[in-house]
Amino acid sequence: MSPGDIWYLIIGNPVLNVLIALSHLLSGSFGLAIIVLTIIVRLISWPLTKRQLNSSKVMQDMQPKIQELQKKYGKNQQKLQQEMMKLYKEAGVNPLGCLWPMLVQFPIWIALYQAIMRALATTPENLLDLAHRLYSWDIVNQAIPLSSKFLWLDLGQPDPYWILAIIVGGTMWVQQKMTQAPAVDPRQQSTSRMMLLMMPLMFGFLTLMFPSGLALYWAVSNIIGIITQYFFTGGWGYLKFRSPFQSTQ
Amino acid sequence: MHDGIAYVGTVDGRVVAINSSTQSKQWDYTITPATTIYTTPIVDGDLVYIGTYSGKILALNTLARSQDLPFPQARYSEWEWDCPIENAKSNAIVADLAMSEDALYVASSNGRVYSLDKGSGDENWKREDIPVLAEKLWTSPVIQGNTLYVSTFDGYIYALSAETGELLDWSFESEAGFASSPVIYEDTIFLGSFDRYLYAVKIGGDAPMWKFPQEKPAGNWFWASPIINEGIVYAGCLDGKLYAISAETGEELWQFESKDPRGKPAPIVSPPVLIGNLLVVANEAGNVYVINPETGDGERIKNRENGDKSTINAQIRAPLCAHEGLVYIRDEDNRLYVVDIDKREVSEPISLTTNE
Repeated sequence: MSPGDIWYLIIGNPVLNVLIALSHLLSGSFGLAIIVLTIIVRLISWPLTKRQLNSSKVMQDMQPKIQELQKKYGKNQQKLQQEMMKLYKEAGVNPLGCLWPMLVQFPIWIALYQAIMRALATTPENLLDLAHRLYSWDIVNQAIPLSSKFLWLDLGQPDPYWILAIIVGGTMWVQQKMTQAPAVDPRQQSTSRMMLLMMPLMFGFLTLMFPSGLALYWAVSNIIGIITQYFFTGGWGYLKFRSPFQSTQ
Repeated sequence: MHDGIAYVGTVDGRVVAINSSTQSKQWDYTITPATTIYTTPIVDGDLVYIGTYSGKILALNTLARSQDLPFPQARYSEWEWDCPIENAKSNAIVADLAMSEDALYVASSNGRVYSLDKGSGDENWKREDIPVLAEKLWTSPVIQGNTLYVSTFDGYIYALSAETGELLDWSFESEAGFASSPVIYEDTIFLGSFDRYLYAVKIGGDAPMWKFPQEKPAGNWFWASPIINEGIVYAGCLDGKLYAISAETGEELWQFESKDPRGKPAPIVSPPVLIGNLLVVANEAGNVYVINPETGDGERIKNRENGDKSTINAQIRAPLCAHEGLVYIRDEDNRLYVVDIDKREVSEPISLTTNE
């Protein structure tokens, strides 16, 4: 069995069939099926998200200590960084921990992209390929072919009005800002600031290029992330927080 | 196939004319801008009609094309028609064209059917009278008398007036979408569905005459249109089997399983063809079989020239064309093969690409 076959057996085909079955259960709405699938993926990845939220909360609680260190070692950046890392280590948190749930979702994005292209079949080859990947469930076969219309979107095409790009970029920025711990030195701060902007910009740009079905997944996933983050940590997290380095400047 | 010339549309957007006696290229025409051709060319006199994925219908004159004149040549009655784009929907032409004495009928991915004058390419129907039948139409219309029958992916069969394009009173609704184009035999429409059944629907009826298989569904979709001869329906299925079914009762008469080089069932994408008293069917894995239509006994055509991994070393998805004891097969690598059915021999491949 080739790596490609294993991929489709474990991830590609299950995502495709679940998506189509959901679409049938939701009155043939492929858009709603994507939203429900997003919720399912977020539920499955909840243990990981919970760990990340915990660490985010711990880091938020550590802010007074960090500011103390800032005052104490403000002039010695190397020492400040060492002390900060020591503090993080003692608390058992990783400042870049927020990236892990995103990385874990990466295979799902690929599978979802493939599922959308296959399920919405923009060419006869796509449709024929779909025939080879469907399970023999009645619910799946009765749903084919799917309608690509959802709200103003053609889910197989990028959103021509850029609305989804703005939503994806905006929600991603908010979610990252809520979870990203402030930087400890100017060099790290500029990297961190760039990361905060780069990812939303990149995803906003990708939304203009990829089928809007995939962008819908990103948007809904970000919104769920913001809501869970808000309720779990009891607020907007670092969204309103200034970097300790900034405050000393 | 017309007057000893085989006309082929290629996946890279060219129409190629092959002389069947010399098996050499007569002319080829590349459609610009570049596109893909899914439709089978149809020929009427000196004109070859073809639909493109870029939403065009072209009428190519064989004389003008053999002289390589710029297209279109009005004095050779050549024309080009652009399918309208509505609400940013695709206008791709994927389904084969239907032809009557005076008109061409075109099903478009924009969900509408158009009627074009064969001589001029002018639209015969008022655009406001043409209904949107589905989100997209990839199945070919079929004409009987003054009525056009169209099957849709969302499970309808519609009857349209061939004169005006207006919907007629009768339509048929199924629970599942129709995957194949309709075929009419003695006032009954036969077509495959996404629910893995083949349907027989009496024109005017509101329930299927029968569904095949009669118990549990087949292993996959009936993607290819069936063919019908002397009361027997021959239907290829993506589960790799060719089924012979009584057109009257829907009862299975026999089944033949096609295989890939590893011995596993391989999907049948192309409709079978009848040649003399034999059936010829090709599967996606490149194997071609000759089958006795009465018994279902089949024999794979071997090809020692290519080491006999399969009859043809490439995928076969295009319709087969049978003519005077020969079957013309285009593979997905843009090569044309001629299979001599009596001798069970496969010709050297004829390249359909520009540089060979």
